[in-house]
Amino acid sequence: MTGRLTSARLVGAGAAAVVAVVTALLPLFLDSSQLTVYTELLLSAVVTTGVSLLLGYAGQISLGHGGFYAAGAYTAALMATHGMPSLLGLACAPLVAGLLGLLVGMPLLRLRGHYLAFATLAFQLILLAVIGQQSSMGGDIGLSGIPALGIGSRHISDFRGYAWVAWLALVAVMILTRNIVRSRPGRGLRALATSEMAASSSGVPVGRYKLVVFSLSAAFAGLAGGIFAFFIAYVAPGSFGVLVSFQFVVMAVVGGLGTLWGPLVGAATITLLLQWLNDLGARPGMPDYAPQVFSYAVYALLLVLVVLFLPRGLVPAGTDALRLLARRRLARAQPGADAAGAADATGAGVEEPVPSPQRQ
Amino acid sequence: MSSFIAYLVSGIAIGCTYALVASGFVMIHRVTRVVNFAQGTFAVVGGMATASLLRHGLPHGLAEVVALASAAALGLLIGVVAIGKPGTPPLSSVIITLGLAIGAYAGEVMIFGDQPLSFTMAHGSTSFLGAHVDRQLFVIMGVTVVSYALLQLFFGRTYVGKALTACSSNPYAARLSGINPSRMGLLAFAIGGALGGLAGVLITPIQPVSFDSDSLLAVNGFAAAIFGGLMHPSTALLGALVLGVSESMIGGYVGASYEIEVALVLMLAIMVWRAARTPVMAEEVA
Amino acid sequence: MLQVDDLVVRYGSAVALDGVGLHVGRGEMVALVGPNGAGKSTLVNALSGVVRPAGGTIRIDGRLAHVPEGRQLFADLSVEDNLRLGAWRSRNRDPRRIYEVMPVLGEMRRKAAGSLSGGQQQMVAVGRALMADPDVIAIDELSLGLAPIVVADLARHLAQLNSERGMAILLIEQNARLAFDLCQRAYVIESGRIVAEGDSGELSRSPEVARAYLGGITGSDTETLLERTAE
Repeated sequence: MTGRLTSARLVGAGAAAVVAVVTALLPLFLDSSQLTVYTELLLSAVVTTGVSLLLGYAGQISLGHGGFYAAGAYTAALMATHGMPSLLGLACAPLVAGLLGLLVGMPLLRLRGHYLAFATLAFQLILLAVIGQQSSMGGDIGLSGIPALGIGSRHISDFRGYAWVAWLALVAVMILTRNIVRSRPGRGLRALATSEMAASSSGVPVGRYKLVVFSLSAAFAGLAGGIFAFFIAYVAPGSFGVLVSFQFVVMAVVGGLGTLWGPLVGAATITLLLQWLNDLGARPGMPDYAPQVFSYAVYALLLVLVVLFLPRGLVPAGTDALRLLARRRLARAQPGADAAGAADATGAGVEEPVPSPQRQ
Repeated sequence: MSSFIAYLVSGIAIGCTYALVASGFVMIHRVTRVVNFAQGTFAVVGGMATASLLRHGLPHGLAEVVALASAAALGLLIGVVAIGKPGTPPLSSVIITLGLAIGAYAGEVMIFGDQPLSFTMAHGSTSFLGAHVDRQLFVIMGVTVVSYALLQLFFGRTYVGKALTACSSNPYAARLSGINPSRMGLLAFAIGGALGGLAGVLITPIQPVSFDSDSLLAVNGFAAAIFGGLMHPSTALLGALVLGVSESMIGGYVGASYEIEVALVLMLAIMVWRAARTPVMAEEVA
Repeated sequence: MLQVDDLVVRYGSAVALDGVGLHVGRGEMVALVGPNGAGKSTLVNALSGVVRPAGGTIRIDGRLAHVPEGRQLFADLSVEDNLRLGAWRSRNRDPRRIYEVMPVLGEMRRKAAGSLSGGQQQMVAVGRALMADPDVIAIDELSLGLAPIVVADLARHLAQLNSERGMAILLIEQNARLAFDLCQRAYVIESGRIVAEGDSGELSRSPEVARAYLGGITGSDTETLLERTAE
């Protein structure tokens, strides 16, 4: 049994390495518009990793992560346009967003379920309204002329460089998430997602854990926002609307809550699907509202279909299917191995996600 | 003094529309335990459909009725998707309503376009205690009072209204008595849709509505609804009036740009204050 | 009247009922006794359609009404509204016919059901079930949490309904003594299976049943509960 498990782990690690190498090399073969999609996809995956950690492991929903994304972007933009080193701006983006998460989380995390959802949504609306009224922050028009990211006199001059920065950020965030989830506090978190009462009665410091995860996921969003600001070189409240926050939740749910790869799969599925529909909608003969309408319809359809029919998301559904396939092949090769395979499929799920939408 | 009266009346009227949105939240939440994120959508559909139908030459009255019926039908549809599949947990239903709220954007942009729409219902203004007040504001208040009275009668006097309360109070016992709680939930969604639609029909003449006006309406309505813990329409009405009047006063005396922030901060404060008084256990069981 | 054969109910992989059969004839009063978790409530929930069986058959001639465990009233509504909602599926929603049988309900018909005492609530729960004009009524844990004197009063009402209207009654009870006293026949259920059945008197004289459910005292040794509480 242990032998099978380590071999499964090895296969997993190998697959992860292949994905990492392929995605790292991919920017070499993409043109500039494809690089834009690539970078935005990975940045979405960074934020979604945080949202998924929060929702899948800590059981807390946030509809305000677009706000933390904005906080990171504005931090980087303001610092860079005021002549500070761009790298310092990038480093401060997650710090400021994380700190904001801490401040906002302290009162709001007393709320649960749909109350928390509305409260975080309200937080984002307040933040955007405040930004829109500050002329020092560019008001509703926004801040433009953000210098390129770089050290000293050396700057990232093309899209490819930002694509790799986004790649590095995603790798860092995923490794951090993996280590948190496997640690002892991580197991406490999983208990928290199933029942706050049970977790708290078994000695898990519920309040502190929730706050730390909330702040951490805000920092992830801030990091992505910082990169976004340098990449686009322009930030405005309009780029961080409520729909952006919804989008992260949709990506997290579609990919599979509480899984390491779910956020990337969710972000990729939705970004690529939207891109394809966008191209389709922009063809001649299509009404000019088509791209917009398609994107709304895709969010809605994917979210509803996944919640109803694949409530654990794409990644768990996919691995289940793979396990089933492997078990069948194994059973055909050596009759009698089926029972062991079945036990493996139910018991040894390394990253068994928590069905958090069950809780209310 | 006259500007105070003007702000007060306008605040009460805006509060009335929040109250209608809020009563839709309460209606649906009581029966199904689902917080319907698409509640603002009903208002948008109600308002935009009325404006659009009037432009196509439908007379007043008929346009409003058709718009309300569409909002109710949309409510039913959202209910079917959100709670129609047996065994859907309430939080999943909540996420589904969020998805459908986004999906509704697609339909709204296609049917009504992406620009704000408005129309005129009651023309001009009148003098009230020395202040100039839009006639529409009185229409809003009157219709809201009548709607609340009708709701009260519906729940207090009719058999179906009692059955809705029964489903809210004990769905298991309701099933044993032969009442189908899912079907009652769908009815609640339809009524909630009509109430939200009514809010939209009333507010569009004073605040043009576009497809993405839903989140602000929903947040204000939700803020009002949580005054009564999402269970009591009358406390929601009170909450909505407090919210509407304070927004209007701050908008009038401090500056219009702070209206939204104040309302939202007020809502957060109320939620956190309520949560501090409710033990975790009660919420997890409920 | 009520015929259950080979009923199987599963919750996931756990088997709650494993091939249960029982029969209640017209105008009969039958008890189902057993310890906590034996599957008693699951059985009634299957009868009223709340739980879907995995196998077996349930045949009901006419209407079955279910008085659930723990009363389960609509607490915010008045007694009269509670009663009227019991008749959701039938045409006759006039609660006066219940007040004739249980006059005490008529006296408190305007009170909120949630404000009543446990015994009064149980009375309302039975009354609400009767509003459906059932041919057979299944009562889950009639006596749970109620004082013996209140139980005796409720039991008298049931006996009266049974004898005057010929209504069949299935009484699901943890309190085996009450069940044996009130009913002609009884079934004993343990871990999802019927382990004993027969005439109440015979069952209560059986040493195993007596040891498990009657505190070791066989039925014939004592006067019945009804006689004791009626004094």
